Amino acid sequence: MTHTFRELVVGGVLLAPFVTYAIAALAIVLMIRPVLRFTRFAKMFSHASVAELSVYVTILALLILFT
Amino acid sequence: MDMAITAARTEASPARGATSAVPAPTQLALRLAGLPISSWAFAVRLWIAVIISLLISFWLQLEAPFSAALTVLLLAEPTRGQALAKAGWRLIATIIGVSASIAITGFLSQSGDLILAAFAAWMGLCVYAAGLLDGYRAYAAVLSGYTVGLIAVQQIDSPQRVFESGFSRGAAIAVGALSITLVNNLLFAPDRYPRLMVQLAAIHRRIREYAKAVMQDEVTDLTATALLKREIVALRPDIASLATEASSGPLRGAAARSAIVAFVAELHAIRALAALPVAADPAFRERLTSVFDRRHDEPPSISPVGHVIDSAKNSADATAAPLVCALSELLRTDEEVRKNLIALKSGMRPPRAWRAPLYQSNRIAVESGIRASAQFAIASALFVLTGWPATSVPLSIVALVIGLGATTPSPRGFTTIALIASPIAIALAGVFEFLILDGVSDFPLLAIGLAPFVVGAGLLISGPNPALASLGRLSLIFFMVIFSPSNPQTYDPQAFVFSSLFVCLGIGLLLAAQFLVPPVSPDRRRRWLIASARHELGLVLSRSNRRYAPEEAMFRDAVRVAQIAAAAGTDLQHRIAVEEALSHFDQAAAIRLSDAKLTQLADSPLASLAAEARTALVDRDAQRIRASARSLRDAAPGDCLAIATSAALLLAGAVIEAASAQAANAPTEKGS
Repeated sequence: MTHTFRELVVGGVLLAPFVTYAIAALAIVLMIRPVLRFTRFAKMFSHASVAELSVYVTILALLILFT
Repeated sequence: MDMAITAARTEASPARGATSAVPAPTQLALRLAGLPISSWAFAVRLWIAVIISLLISFWLQLEAPFSAALTVLLLAEPTRGQALAKAGWRLIATIIGVSASIAITGFLSQSGDLILAAFAAWMGLCVYAAGLLDGYRAYAAVLSGYTVGLIAVQQIDSPQRVFESGFSRGAAIAVGALSITLVNNLLFAPDRYPRLMVQLAAIHRRIREYAKAVMQDEVTDLTATALLKREIVALRPDIASLATEASSGPLRGAAARSAIVAFVAELHAIRALAALPVAADPAFRERLTSVFDRRHDEPPSISPVGHVIDSAKNSADATAAPLVCALSELLRTDEEVRKNLIALKSGMRPPRAWRAPLYQSNRIAVESGIRASAQFAIASALFVLTGWPATSVPLSIVALVIGLGATTPSPRGFTTIALIASPIAIALAGVFEFLILDGVSDFPLLAIGLAPFVVGAGLLISGPNPALASLGRLSLIFFMVIFSPSNPQTYDPQAFVFSSLFVCLGIGLLLAAQFLVPPVSPDRRRRWLIASARHELGLVLSRSNRRYAPEEAMFRDAVRVAQIAAAAGTDLQHRIAVEEALSHFDQAAAIRLSDAKLTQLADSPLASLAAEARTALVDRDAQRIRASARSLRDAAPGDCLAIATSAALLLAGAVIEAASAQAANAPTEKGS
């Protein structure tokens, strides 16, 4: 079965579904930032920036898979 | 890595060259380049990000792939958080700029001249907004301005394409921002906060040295205090970018912001101490200075704070009360700085989060906006008079240079550097396009060919010399504009000659316009700032002045002192202006601190005396302030708050008296 993607329409302009997913993933990452801070997420890794980027990519991939 | 370089350098020295363990070519490269590895890493990251942005743009078949590469070059900041913060502001500004382009073109699509007039006005408005902001916010303001130049003016003959052009620019910018973010994250671009930590610790050390000098009654240089304030205030935009660095960034940002506000409060406490007659007892002075001998992050042992103050209280000196007040204020602020620095290091919430309000002169911002608007109008009128068909390109360049110049201290200096950078960029782009590439269409060849140009300019950008850094950045930007990579590359010599000529002509005309309508001179800037400081001192306890806590208001005043210190002039004038600014700063801060104490007495039986003292503070009458302080102390002999308030008032009286004595001795600079 083929996975169907819904396009976002802004004022008659069609936006690629990936843009929607990328923005939604960014919004989710921003929302869970306080949780990451509370759990001292950055302290668990030697390179926190790579770990945080991986969180973003994981959320983006999950969104694409399950929506 | 740094250790390796040091080792290599040591090994490569003539005395030990023969026994070197490092291979000779490495030594030679390190010695010849003479640049730190961090600069090389920055330059290579920049090159990789440019290549990735071009690759993605070609793959997505974007209309303007060079916009993506330009975005990477403009976001080329040494640390990850700064690049991310700038990218965010760039996206927001592009949205504003595209909306303004659509509005301007929609209203005035029938007349090209009116579009140019509206654009000049919009440019002026954006430069005005940039004058009221700092850091990347100011950059975003000017970017909203010149985005209209890049979209509406470039499409002046085909207004129906404005929306499409704006959209493709937005897409290219998003691709560029994502490329540099990805590269910075994966290639471990450094964070800002470790370096900020070192800078803050160094400033703290210098403030303590200054405190010790004042306690030992050594002669201190006033301009050094202003310079210290300037350095503290200069960290403000960098601190704002900490928030984007990591999930703990917002807390670190709050801690660093509170630390710089506490620095300014500590500097004020030291200056207030300097206004008092020095304590005579050398042993007492010795004990005081020893408090500042510990390391900046070391907690005070067996409460030297209380110990020192108790000794002062017991002193038989008549000036003991204000001295106690100044000392306790100094030790309190020093302790606050220490706690904030610890919070910054551990990524915890600071004990008390201060705001760091920015002072920007509305008058200077208005004047800069009007002048920028006039400069653009002159340049565009000349281009319209020539009647050339492709003048939209140089006009966009003029807008870009006006915009970027408005965020620098000297717009005309920036245009001059741009004028020097453009022929360099033209030569490099010509060599690259027609000698190195010469008709090739393979992406890997483009990537390899770009390497020396981007890496070379990247090394200049990350270097210590600001003029060379600007030159490197502008050369690279113009190089990319003139070369304008596309898929497939056109290799059109005529287009190359035209775009080169127009870039030089546009910048040359702008420089001429800036000589005709010069930017606000440093002298005038300084006079206005002093006049504003004088005016605000008159309104110090008015309702509009109570938006901030005393410490926050002090920081805002320190921003103004820093701006006055930055506006260069003849030595004597400069010194007079800085002294006057510092004196206004001291008086306003002492009055605000006393007022904060008086406010606590508002509901007590001493309210009427407090109101009397406040009137004396507003009038800046040292005699009456002292009299009020004595009445307060006598009215409630056992009340700790009344005694503390009385001491604060006596201190304010001493500061105001010292300022009046200084004003009487020195000629003042006339405010216009």
